[in-house]
Amino acid sequence: MKGFQKVSCFLLLVILDCFQIKVFSQEQKDSLADINTKISLLYLNTSNDTVVLTANLFVSRDQGPFALQNAEIEFTATAGKEIKLLGETKTDDQGNAVLKVHVKSGLPCDKDGKTVYLVKFNRKGKYLSSAESITAKLAKITVNFSKEDSLRFIKVNANQFESTGEIKPVTKEKVIVYIPRLFNLLKIGEIALDDNGEGRIDCPENLIGDSLGNITVIAKIEENDTFGNVQGQSSITWGIPKQYYLAEKPTRELWTPIAPIWMIVTLIIMLTGVWAHYLYAVSQLIKIKFARKKDLF
Amino acid sequence: MENKTIRDNLLKEVAPHLERTTPAALAWILFLLSIIGLGIFAFITQVTKGHIVTGMRDNVVWGIYIVNFIFFMGMSYAGAIISGTLQLFRTEWRKPIIRLAEYLAIISLLIGPGYILLCIGRLDRLYYLALFGRIQSPITWDVIAISTDIFGCLIFLYLSTLRDIANLRDFKELNLPRWRKKIYSILALGYEGTPEQEKRLKRATDIMAAMVIAIAIIVYSVLAWIFSVTLQPGWHSTIFGPYFVIAAIYSGTGVLIIAMWVFRKVYHLQQYITRKHFVAMGVLMVVLAALFGYFTFSDYLTKWYGSEKNDESLIKILFSQYYWPFIFSNYIGVLIPLIVVGIPKLRSITSITISALIVIVALWFNRYLIVIPTLESPYLPIQDSRPEWLNYSATWVEYSLTAAGVALFCLLYTLASKFIPVMNVSEMADVPGTDKTEGPFLTEESLL
Repeated sequence: MKGFQKVSCFLLLVILDCFQIKVFSQEQKDSLADINTKISLLYLNTSNDTVVLTANLFVSRDQGPFALQNAEIEFTATAGKEIKLLGETKTDDQGNAVLKVHVKSGLPCDKDGKTVYLVKFNRKGKYLSSAESITAKLAKITVNFSKEDSLRFIKVNANQFESTGEIKPVTKEKVIVYIPRLFNLLKIGEIALDDNGEGRIDCPENLIGDSLGNITVIAKIEENDTFGNVQGQSSITWGIPKQYYLAEKPTRELWTPIAPIWMIVTLIIMLTGVWAHYLYAVSQLIKIKFARKKDLF
Repeated sequence: MENKTIRDNLLKEVAPHLERTTPAALAWILFLLSIIGLGIFAFITQVTKGHIVTGMRDNVVWGIYIVNFIFFMGMSYAGAIISGTLQLFRTEWRKPIIRLAEYLAIISLLIGPGYILLCIGRLDRLYYLALFGRIQSPITWDVIAISTDIFGCLIFLYLSTLRDIANLRDFKELNLPRWRKKIYSILALGYEGTPEQEKRLKRATDIMAAMVIAIAIIVYSVLAWIFSVTLQPGWHSTIFGPYFVIAAIYSGTGVLIIAMWVFRKVYHLQQYITRKHFVAMGVLMVVLAALFGYFTFSDYLTKWYGSEKNDESLIKILFSQYYWPFIFSNYIGVLIPLIVVGIPKLRSITSITISALIVIVALWFNRYLIVIPTLESPYLPIQDSRPEWLNYSATWVEYSLTAAGVALFCLLYTLASKFIPVMNVSEMADVPGTDKTEGPFLTEESLL
């Protein structure tokens, strides 16, 4: 039996050891091969003279994309032969590198007012280079509110910036209006901009705001071929103030930190009943042990 | 005196299996160890690389690990209920097979919860469950229930093996190493079969037999409630508790029949585990098959007739994407035992064992169909989820750990049979009529 145990232990160790070797050899093979990287770029013009560029760097695996952390991403803006380095940032654990560019710092643009934004990851070790670009023209959306009799309107105005510095209205484009909710944006309507770059929709009356009734309205031009993503936002106290119920003392509900009384009582009764029987059975075992000694004496 | 002779003869027969390990047994153990080794490798891979190596994603967050958990826990409760019931009702034919049911209860119970741990992404935070666990959570109920059940089953197993341990301690012809004799001597607690010791042992065993039945039902119902208290299509059902309990006993009966067949063949127990035992277990399997079929039909009928959008789409998935597993688990898995055992001419040890094997596989698929298709068709779309994450398919890591669990189950069964006889020798040696433990369990004494 002892021999059998020794043989079993030895074989188990051998099996485990073999697997260990395989793990390392796989990693070694993996580490030698070049890995293609992919980069994506998201452009967002927030209308407060800021453009937010978000690059996402990842590698494709069988199981899906894997984000690359701590990779240095280079952001540049170009127009024709003019190239301007906007900055460099490192990717976070999600593979995202975010750069905020102030429009007033002066961005190169072509005769149509368009700028090419370029993000680039330069080869590092086994990870190969990758780049992505997006072309967009600067625009700005402003959100205003107006009241006519008892009707309330959300008014949107959109303008675009020409290379000459001239400001012209954005016409015939679709603007989507949202209200931020707990998990996502709630779409409340769409506006088709007129020749003046303006449009309006009714503001719903039953929107719940914060405790003071503040609501934030976001107007967006989304994934537009010329302007990319442009958004503007504004707040107003047109919402229904949210009523927070604060109990005088903590309640015992299914969702509260403290369990309902009936649940605790049931659990205690059941566990006490079961463990009392266990203890009784164990006490009988102890008595069996002492019953023998009693018989001996 | 007569009892002692029978007992010694029985011990002589089982002694070779306790004393030595044949080359075939050694090869079998090594084979099981190699599968367990593969499972350890898969586990290391999963821990080092994360759950990305499994098929589980944002939508299907429970894969075959939870299926295995339900399956093993079901076998355990079946073992507890069968052994507890046979013990309480003093069924005469129980004697050669009750130990197998007791082993089934505890071994499955030790393996099953391991699969829950494999589902947890951050094992290092496991103690948070104790620190921040909420009593309202069915997961907390399950942890409390399973740990209580483990203690109960261990005490019950110990009580029911105590007489055999004492016999092994006293049997001089047994050629065992000194350390094993020492272990038997310690575990026997000085039991010598005095009237007082017998009385106390019987009382404690009866109480624990009743307790393990009650706990098994409660614990498996709690496991069912983990699913049924959620508002998920296919899970939110009031009959899930009893349905799970019936399915558990049904699958456990199948495993017990397989165990009877294997040990009968390997340990040459043909004269003790006879056709009578297989037919008795087969009849139990038929009753459970009918109940399982009834519950399954009732559950799906109400969902289908209600025509609730998500239930309807779930049933559509079951009858399209999962057509064959559904037919196998809910039709073939029910009809085969009904036909094989229901028709007397078809009843044989082999046919009952084969139908038990079909039942086990069918019940594993039944649990798969409860877990996976529901998670693949949630009520609400999951944000930022990818289409390729919607459908689940297990990876080699999950299959390896599943195989390792089965191998560990077989290994522990094998090792247990080499430590304490697979038959209840003490009870078999009790000549009917002279056995002090014979008779209905509600005797005047136990009522007092």
